Amino acid sequence: MSTEVLAAPAPKTYSGLLDWLTTTDHKKIGLLYLGFAFINIWLGGALAGLIRLNLFNPGWHIIAPNVYNQLITMHATLMIFMAVMPAFAGMGNYLIPLMIGARDMAFPKLNAFSFWIMIPAALMMYVSFFVPGGASRGGWWQYPPLSTFQFMGGHGEDLWILAVILLGISSVTGAINILVTIFDMRAPGMKLMRMPLFVWSWLVTATMLIVALPVLSGTMIMLLADRLFGTGFYRPALGGDPLLYEHLFWFFGHPEVYIMILPGFGMMSHIVPSFAGKKVFGYKGMVYALCAIGLLGYTVWAHHMFTSGITPAAQIYFSICSMLIAIPTGVKIYSWLASMWGGAIRFTTPMLFCLGMIALFTFGGLTGVMLAIVPFDIVVHNTYFVVGHFHYVLVGGSVMALLGGMHFWYPKISGRMLSEKLGHWTFWLIFIGINWVFLPMHWLGIEGMVRRIATYRPQFAFWNQFISLGFFFMLFGGLLFTWNVIVSWKKGQPAQADAWQVNDTQQAFEWMTSSPPPVHNFDEIPAMPAEEHA
Amino acid sequence: MNTATDTLSASAGHAASGEAAHIHLPGPSFWPILLALGMGLVTTGFFFWATGASANWWFGLGAIFCIVPAMGWATTIAAERRHMDPAQTSTDLRRGFLLFLVSESCIFGSFFAHNIYLRFFAPAWPPPGAPVLATQLPAIGTLVLVLSSFTVNIAHHAIKSGKITRAKNWLILTIVMGIVFLGIQAYDWGFLLQFDKFTISKGVFGSGYYLMTGFHGMHVLVGLLMLGLVYWRLERGDYNNPTYSFSTDAAAYYWHFVDIVWIFLFFTIYLLKF
Ligand SMILES: [Cu+2]
Repeated sequence: MSTEVLAAPAPKTYSGLLDWLTTTDHKKIGLLYLGFAFINIWLGGALAGLIRLNLFNPGWHIIAPNVYNQLITMHATLMIFMAVMPAFAGMGNYLIPLMIGARDMAFPKLNAFSFWIMIPAALMMYVSFFVPGGASRGGWWQYPPLSTFQFMGGHGEDLWILAVILLGISSVTGAINILVTIFDMRAPGMKLMRMPLFVWSWLVTATMLIVALPVLSGTMIMLLADRLFGTGFYRPALGGDPLLYEHLFWFFGHPEVYIMILPGFGMMSHIVPSFAGKKVFGYKGMVYALCAIGLLGYTVWAHHMFTSGITPAAQIYFSICSMLIAIPTGVKIYSWLASMWGGAIRFTTPMLFCLGMIALFTFGGLTGVMLAIVPFDIVVHNTYFVVGHFHYVLVGGSVMALLGGMHFWYPKISGRMLSEKLGHWTFWLIFIGINWVFLPMHWLGIEGMVRRIATYRPQFAFWNQFISLGFFFMLFGGLLFTWNVIVSWKKGQPAQADAWQVNDTQQAFEWMTSSPPPVHNFDEIPAMPAEEHA
Repeated sequence: MNTATDTLSASAGHAASGEAAHIHLPGPSFWPILLALGMGLVTTGFFFWATGASANWWFGLGAIFCIVPAMGWATTIAAERRHMDPAQTSTDLRRGFLLFLVSESCIFGSFFAHNIYLRFFAPAWPPPGAPVLATQLPAIGTLVLVLSSFTVNIAHHAIKSGKITRAKNWLILTIVMGIVFLGIQAYDWGFLLQFDKFTISKGVFGSGYYLMTGFHGMHVLVGLLMLGLVYWRLERGDYNNPTYSFSTDAAAYYWHFVDIVWIFLFFTIYLLKF
């Protein structure tokens, strides 16, 4: 370091609320992200509750169809953009610097900005329910012509579009920060091919975010212009093309599903070997599989459009590419299984969530392969089969992995252990709830129950009532988790630095520093263990 | 291990550099939350304006809450960097900025994709009723903008090697060329609007034309602001370490970016004939 560098004055500090508003500490920002996600998963869950209430009986019509459309749109929006994505961003923020042996992110202030810019976006989303005409009702994909002003008056839709653009700014700045952090701030000796897999998963995710989210913003700018400034980007009368919107949207939308699962894969690759007492199986294969999923994810978007009028050649291409993704995904699943093989498995709560995730995600992945088959997709397109499929992937995959990760790293974050007993109960409630709610949707879909409609034909009543009752499993699971998190924060068993005694095998940096870590993360940056040459 | 990986890990060393005497951590800052507030206000203002309500207060307040925090933020960073390794921080900032440009390209990319898709799949292109765009004047604009990429490059190198007067001269020339380009664009817009009565809502051709050239023009404007800022800082002489000056790098990169996007834009919108 050159001699011109002056000694820094000790930074001034605030306490209480001001501390949270001005913090640039990646750990506190990570917690802010997690808190934001927590609030929104409850709000999004409440919307799901209303949806299930309405669908309990096809004749009740408790909720007007117009309002129902707002509910499904905002349920998806909140869960995708304001719950799952910020939850993973929060875990990434908290853990990446710890895992690579850094003291903070590369751009601590930008990091704070990435979080705070979500707040105006969230407010716009909430407020949109109360503007004349109500919130957006186009579903989260907002296909024109439904989303044009002609068919969707009122300005809730415009608020939705602007809020999504702001959320995109949050994601892109966050992703840039994470990438530069990963490139520039690793501890000495931590080559890329020795990085923890969660960091790798975020490297791929952040790269995908930087490409995908701006495309969404551009697509939304054009949609907004069509609505408010009379342009014709997607309006056939003016020479535009609604099918083109679908292409642009899904060019973002499919990578988005990997953005929402890859960090979960990353967490799994820490938790599963940790509780099997082994090193992760096939590290290199795991890295290459992540990269392959990231790349292939950009070549498959039109599998959402098999019934939208694309050519048979395009159908075949997108079908084959979609099925190809099963290969790297399979690599990951088999690597987790192999990581457990012959190990002394400890069935802790995080491990249970991971095992549940493997089962549920595999199931959701297989129905995904079914949906990639054009003739099958044409039959079940826009039915509850699709709803069942992506909830298995998103709730059974992403949310289960997130819950596993939160139970796993909670001691690191809070310095206290969560109650294992409550954790087991949470797991079983959520695991049963997911299957109870989302499994029957598959046969409902095959029998012809269409999604995004406020009612259904009477013969589907039994299974819909069954599903609606299953909502309570999820609700109690969520309440139990919330209770556990809040109570253990002050009253849990104090956690050791290596809270789960996993570091004999894992040698992970985050378990080498105290729980919770000091504000500078490490008194001394840990040394990379010697490289094993197998 | 391949070479790319090695160069990346070569820079990883600085994470440990804090251990030596003290651990430097960035202090708390009000700027990020205030800037987020400002952007929220501007977005809300845009919403009210675009939906026909009055939005002056939102825009006014929003502008204050965007500009003041942005300036405060930049000043804070400049001050902080005096306590940090200048080579490393400028590498971080440059990488971050290049990634930002990647994301910007992807916004432009969605507009280009829209345009090119229609050229392949629309029943007729250019659509009936679309005016034939004159290419002579925009060609001159293109030439000016391309040349300005060279002049900014000279200015950039001059700053790096400490030749401040030389840098200022070439910077002025670049800024003038940028203004000439914008003037030509404005003339082009005015001509189309006035004589061809060709507006953004006259069909998808016009929508795309105005969106792409307008969005690009906004970027030229931002680029000019950045160049102006560099000039102002040269005038004040506050580049104490020009080798690691990030703001000059950023302005130069941004200007090249704006130039490259325009070359594609000119080719796609003005020259491509199918
Ligand atoms: Cu997809």
